[in-house]
Amino acid sequence: MDLIELGSKEEVRDTLREASVRGRRVSIVGGRTHMDKGNPTEVDIELATGGLDRVIAYDPAEMLAVVEAGMRIRELRRVLAEGGQEWPAAAADDATVGGTIATGPSSPRRLRMGPLRDTVVEMELVTGDGRLVRSGARTVKSVAGYDVHRLATGSLGTLGAIVQVAVKVRPLPKARRVVRTPEGGLLAGGRILEAVPLLSAVVATPHRIEIALEGWLQEVDEQTEAVRRAAGNVEVIDGEGIEGPEAIRAPTVVEVAVPPSKLSAVLDEESDWRALMGVGIAWVGLHDSGERLAALRGRVAEAGGIAPLIRGPGGLGDAPVPALGVHRRLKAAFDPAGILAPGRFWAGL
Amino acid sequence: MSDLDEARRELQEALGVDAVLSDPLALRLYARDASMVEGSAGLVVFPRSTDDVATCVRAADAHDLSLVPRGSGTGLAGASTPIGDALVVVTSKMTRILEIRPEDRLAWVEPGLFNLDLGVALRGTGFTYMPDPSSQQVSSIGGNVATNAGGPHCLAYGVTSAHVLALDLVLSDGTVARVGAEGPEASGYDLRGLVVGSEGTVGIVTAVCVRLTPEPPAIRTMLMDFATVEDCAATVSAIIAGGVVPAALEMMDQGIVRAVEAFAHAGYPTDAAAVLLVEVDGIQAGVDAETHEVEEAARAHSVGSIREAESPDERALLWKGRKAAFGAIAQIAPHYHLHDCVVPRTKLVEVLTGVYAICRRENITVTNVFHAGDGNLHPLLSFDRTEPGVLERVLRSSEEIVRLCVDAGGSLSGEHGIGLEKRDFMSLVFTDDDLAAQACVRSAFDPSGRMNPRKVLPDGARCGDFAVAAAGTDAAGVGDARRAGSAMPEGTWI
Repeated sequence: MDLIELGSKEEVRDTLREASVRGRRVSIVGGRTHMDKGNPTEVDIELATGGLDRVIAYDPAEMLAVVEAGMRIRELRRVLAEGGQEWPAAAADDATVGGTIATGPSSPRRLRMGPLRDTVVEMELVTGDGRLVRSGARTVKSVAGYDVHRLATGSLGTLGAIVQVAVKVRPLPKARRVVRTPEGGLLAGGRILEAVPLLSAVVATPHRIEIALEGWLQEVDEQTEAVRRAAGNVEVIDGEGIEGPEAIRAPTVVEVAVPPSKLSAVLDEESDWRALMGVGIAWVGLHDSGERLAALRGRVAEAGGIAPLIRGPGGLGDAPVPALGVHRRLKAAFDPAGILAPGRFWAGL
Repeated sequence: MSDLDEARRELQEALGVDAVLSDPLALRLYARDASMVEGSAGLVVFPRSTDDVATCVRAADAHDLSLVPRGSGTGLAGASTPIGDALVVVTSKMTRILEIRPEDRLAWVEPGLFNLDLGVALRGTGFTYMPDPSSQQVSSIGGNVATNAGGPHCLAYGVTSAHVLALDLVLSDGTVARVGAEGPEASGYDLRGLVVGSEGTVGIVTAVCVRLTPEPPAIRTMLMDFATVEDCAATVSAIIAGGVVPAALEMMDQGIVRAVEAFAHAGYPTDAAAVLLVEVDGIQAGVDAETHEVEEAARAHSVGSIREAESPDERALLWKGRKAAFGAIAQIAPHYHLHDCVVPRTKLVEVLTGVYAICRRENITVTNVFHAGDGNLHPLLSFDRTEPGVLERVLRSSEEIVRLCVDAGGSLSGEHGIGLEKRDFMSLVFTDDDLAAQACVRSAFDPSGRMNPRKVLPDGARCGDFAVAAAGTDAAGVGDARRAGSAMPEGTWI
């Protein structure tokens, strides 16, 4: 397999165009931090976008950052911190902005921050056959044409190579705090969610509840008191962020997504999990990806959800994909030669 | 018997005689939405269920008719204006709330439900549906989905797309797809995200699963007045730059304040050059801290007075002034053309100054009420269309305003959409390749081309061009594409 490292949009365009003509299959790679997500795929070329790492525009007063897709999360965080802001994506320091958007990881702070997809307002995408396509606008809201960037977000590199994005950013919280309760379980998590307004995260685990508070210091203090009233003796850690799936040690981690009230039915038989109360995401650790995974996916399917793997082998699962004809036509339009990570996406796309 | 007659007979049989209108008055009424563009309808149908809508779509296919989905008809860009003998599918009889599930923070509603009626139904649950377009008393959730509607509170909470989890969609082949999921993530590409804001051109939405948001425990609402528009806009920038994102940040200029005050009697100061309505919400301690920051930013920019709502009634009154603006302007002149474009926040003053200059030159009265925090401008051009030559001046001003916003790095529309009125401006901001890609997306949903044709994209944009271009030539630059005119498609007029 060839590894091609690219440093400009033009190079990405030319490389993909040629790969399409020659029928060479391509996987787009950023920081290789989310490679386990998706079904197995075989490719001839890995196209690394890490060289596309410039800041195109950033003015804190606009609450938008325009950056090339190969920029590392670490670097974006540094740039934004200088403006007193952050992009609330949960990704490793080495991950790239483009890779993070293409794989769409859920942040543990999603309860308050919303999904990552809503932060992407403009995108430049190079299609499988090497056309540069821009959609959206560099404004906080826009309804002008079809939002191709919505399709590319979470598409696992099967519609094109993301080369540049404008993302909405937000002020860094003045204070952040993690509070841990001694009692775990979904019921206890649900009680905290009910009792304390505007939490950034209530992460339930079998053994304790971890709560993320952020905002003005006075606000965080008021919330801490409310947690104490609801949960009694708590442990308070200032200045720390809340952990996501990385806190699970198991070799295989599934990211379950179900309506929030279905979490209990899904997690009943499991022992190693972190569930986002009020959101419906649960990261479940498994020690094998065989029968246990199949059983978990069966329960998730009954709950109307999905359960892709985010660590270890096991792929996305076989949840039905709606409007399959639309999906196939989209894939054919954006990747006519079918060279982009064939089969990595849902339904063999 | 013509295709239209046959389609009418079939639909009357399937949906009931009352569900189909074809008399001249009805056809005239449904020949336009709230935009300036008029077209012509062939048949007007009022389905009551997803099955009824699928029946309409199949009838359109059998009799070679195009389809135009329509909610309340409050759209301002012409997306619901039919062209030719289109079959207009009106969702105004589909108004049920199907279920409210606070435990899952969601509700399923039919598309014809008024936005405000959902808010009323949620009272007492502790949850609310955040998007609150100014038209919310009469605009439908389905229409809000079609235009990815905003509203004052979208500054902190995001536009409609952030509040729609799933949609039932009838595709042009008559099949029904549920895109998105009740849970936080779905399988496949984010078709849900694509459908929201697609202005009824990729399918007909027959049910919407909306995300519910817990009501904030504390709210403070302030009205501030300024002696200059510049100070008002600078206050907006200072608030945001200071790391505070209020729930709403709405600006009104003197012209609109005077009209509103005579109409709503909200106690707005009519001698100020501009007023700013600011709302902060959240936990009491945080709300107090943010209020302090907001007031400091205003004082640093020579605010006149700051009036804070002391009671829920006073808060409602302050908001009444803002939301009644479009009713109040009838006092200025009988007709209006409401603009919608978004510019970078830091360009607000520059663009506003330009808007005033354009309208002064064309001798058109302009007032401004807009979502300042989002940079979303709404210049309101008032006129009397019986005055000879005024329409040309209005259209000329509109085009200049669009170009001004685009040149400032803005978008063609923040929340009203492209529809018919702005489709020929699309090439101001997108290249031929961009537009061809968008045409591909559209035809992936609707290979038949029957679904609300000739809206959103300019006539020249075709998916096929994309494939042809792929053979070798480079992308055309935006510069080459600056040939946008404001010609309307044949079969429509202003």
